[in-house]
Amino acid sequence: MSMKGVFLGVFLCLVLLTFVAWRLRPAPAPPGKIPLTWVSDDNPARREQIALFNRLHPDYLLRLDPGNTGMEKVIVQSLAGVGPDLFDCYDGYQLSAYVRSGIAWDVTDALKKAGIDVTRDVWPAVFPNILHEGRVYGFPTNVAVNAIWFNKDIFDAAGIPYPTGTMTWQQFLPLAQKLTVRDKNGRAKRFGLLADWWNWKQFVLQWGGRMFTPDGTKCIIDSPEAIAGVQFFHDLIYRYRVMPSPVEEAAMATTGGWGSGAIHFFGGGKGAMALGGRWWLCTLRNVEGLRLGAFACPFGPKKVYRGYGRATLINAKSSRREAAVKFLLYEAGKPYNDLINHQADALAPVKKYCYTEEYLHDPAFPDEDFNAVWRDVMNYGLPDEVSPFVNGNRATRILNKQLDLVKNDQKSASAALHTAARQINEAIRDMLKQDPTLRMQYAKLTGRSGP
Amino acid sequence: MSWKTRRLRGHEGAAAMAFLLPNFLGFLVFTIGPVFFSLVASFSNWNLQRTIPFQWIGLENYAKLFHDPDFWLYFVNTGYLMLGLPVAIGGSLVLALLLNRDLRGIVAYRTLFYLPTFTSGVALLILWKALYNPDFGPVNVVINWFLDSLGVNRLVAILTGRELSAPQWLLSTRNLLGIGVEQVRIVAKQWGLGARDAIIIMGIWVAIGGNNMLLYLAGLSNIPQELLEAAQIDGAGRWATFRHVTWPQLAPTTFFIVVMSFIGGLQGGFEQARVMTGGGPAGTTTTLTYYIYTKAFEEFDIGYSCSIAWVLFIIIFVVTLINWKFGSRELNY
Repeated sequence: MSMKGVFLGVFLCLVLLTFVAWRLRPAPAPPGKIPLTWVSDDNPARREQIALFNRLHPDYLLRLDPGNTGMEKVIVQSLAGVGPDLFDCYDGYQLSAYVRSGIAWDVTDALKKAGIDVTRDVWPAVFPNILHEGRVYGFPTNVAVNAIWFNKDIFDAAGIPYPTGTMTWQQFLPLAQKLTVRDKNGRAKRFGLLADWWNWKQFVLQWGGRMFTPDGTKCIIDSPEAIAGVQFFHDLIYRYRVMPSPVEEAAMATTGGWGSGAIHFFGGGKGAMALGGRWWLCTLRNVEGLRLGAFACPFGPKKVYRGYGRATLINAKSSRREAAVKFLLYEAGKPYNDLINHQADALAPVKKYCYTEEYLHDPAFPDEDFNAVWRDVMNYGLPDEVSPFVNGNRATRILNKQLDLVKNDQKSASAALHTAARQINEAIRDMLKQDPTLRMQYAKLTGRSGP
Repeated sequence: MSWKTRRLRGHEGAAAMAFLLPNFLGFLVFTIGPVFFSLVASFSNWNLQRTIPFQWIGLENYAKLFHDPDFWLYFVNTGYLMLGLPVAIGGSLVLALLLNRDLRGIVAYRTLFYLPTFTSGVALLILWKALYNPDFGPVNVVINWFLDSLGVNRLVAILTGRELSAPQWLLSTRNLLGIGVEQVRIVAKQWGLGARDAIIIMGIWVAIGGNNMLLYLAGLSNIPQELLEAAQIDGAGRWATFRHVTWPQLAPTTFFIVVMSFIGGLQGGFEQARVMTGGGPAGTTTTLTYYIYTKAFEEFDIGYSCSIAWVLFIIIFVVTLINWKFGSRELNY
């Protein structure tokens, strides 16, 4: 074959592949429909939420894009002009990054026009996900707070009455110790309590600690209160031995096929109780024969709980941003809120929809008699504190590194949190050096140039 | 040269250019362009957060880098993970020598050993993560059996008063050199086997049967048969033949493998950190490439991450020059 023939063959191949790629691309929205893309995680609940929106709004076609989740992807793609119309925001740090990158669209006026006042209507625990410097940038998708799940069969077998009401951690400890079972070699067969390590934030709050000073100008995670909270959480693993150590967790992940994380261990019967949100039901409902109960999480010196959740933001660079507001209004409406409660995708974001008979006793799940627990505890839910003066990811990286050492019993809570506070305050100094707007704001608040 | 020949050559040249052009354009747009763009960006404070105004800051990023304790820790991590290179290269040579024989089913053996190289990297990493499970992973099951059943632990207990335990692998910050977690210094408490060593062992397993083995096989097949026969006639044994004929003849291959391994090692660790450890525990498996990613796409500090990338490039360039200067001497046989 001549050179020309080879070249032509290669060229035709490329044309053919281009044609195949073109045929494989998602079909465009039918004429008259407004297409919207939502970057979020893919699960049956999410697909149902999208289907309901498309059913209620026949002039829209909302599609899920689960392949581009993650803040870094959303920001980079949006800045490059190929971002989604809607995306998730998990905390105040993320919102701050989205706003500062110019990606989050200010919807204050759009929501006000629709008669929605987020500070009045939604649970305060998710304010940091949507509010930034007095402006509204989205609407909560759901809200959560953790309580204690318990396995009724384990309690029945041990002859222990089901816990009710609230108690302190000190009152809770004997119960967790009684329900922890170890073999003669000391290897745990079952733990009294399961909790993911990221719950350390709740312990800091309950012991009266804070991440930042109220104006966010200084990290104070090394306060005696914060240290005491993290120390107690550490002690649940190493001193009281009612929770699995990282090694024991890793062992459970491999042997039982329960996946990693407290939710799967609990579903697999490896714990009598577990610290988790109502959203665990999305998974636990599928565990055959699991009889569940729930009661409010024990508290420390302070009766507060860590609230968290997710919000949907609109891409400021999207050409369909005005149309995307429709989705936020849908999230504020009754059909969506009822669906969230029914799916148990945590709690409905709008408070009033959690005070219904339908929420308390869902006819589809008659055994679930614990829904009041989540709603009542939600009233004590405090959001995570953020500081505008530090990059959230950097602060998180610093904290994770130090808390890794505490979790693995390689560093004391005190030493780790002192290091974390010092490094985060250095990061604040760095940020102030780079950002003149923040520098001015900081000086106005403190009269100083750095923490 | 006749007019016809010149015309034919002209046509061939045009065809060659046509073949090269798409690749060249792609290289220009997607490699050379971004490389120079990153160099320019490294002299700026470019941050994806728009409240930080763009500024040219000269060498400030580079100056900051040299005072960044994380950079030095991750540089040490990168270097530490390269400690397995000599073993991996030596192992590849031994394997190539074994597979260079005229055995039945040799192609199947070669394919088997090459399998890890063309298997999905992520799948391998997940598999190794399970193997390293401290309590029930097969690695520790064997170690525990060795310690307990063969009485090693009893002996150690009698001698030292303490018992040995299997390593915690990916959960542990310990390492064979006892390098500290937060500072580049030797800490006795850190001595042992941990996440970094686990990654090295896995790397050796992958590399032994990988491209290096193929290169050595190619090198072995290029050794002139008459040299080997001459050695045999002169009465040289297997070791003497290897030492005086095979090894010198493989010098160019070894040189190439060493240079490429150093480059790969300095650029390595990203997949392992991303899939197996998240850079932990406590940052001990964060390498320079993972740090570049973290700075750029998690902290959005593009300017600073570009400066790390260029310092890494300079390190690789200098190491390659050193390799070239000292390694190429051995090629003049």
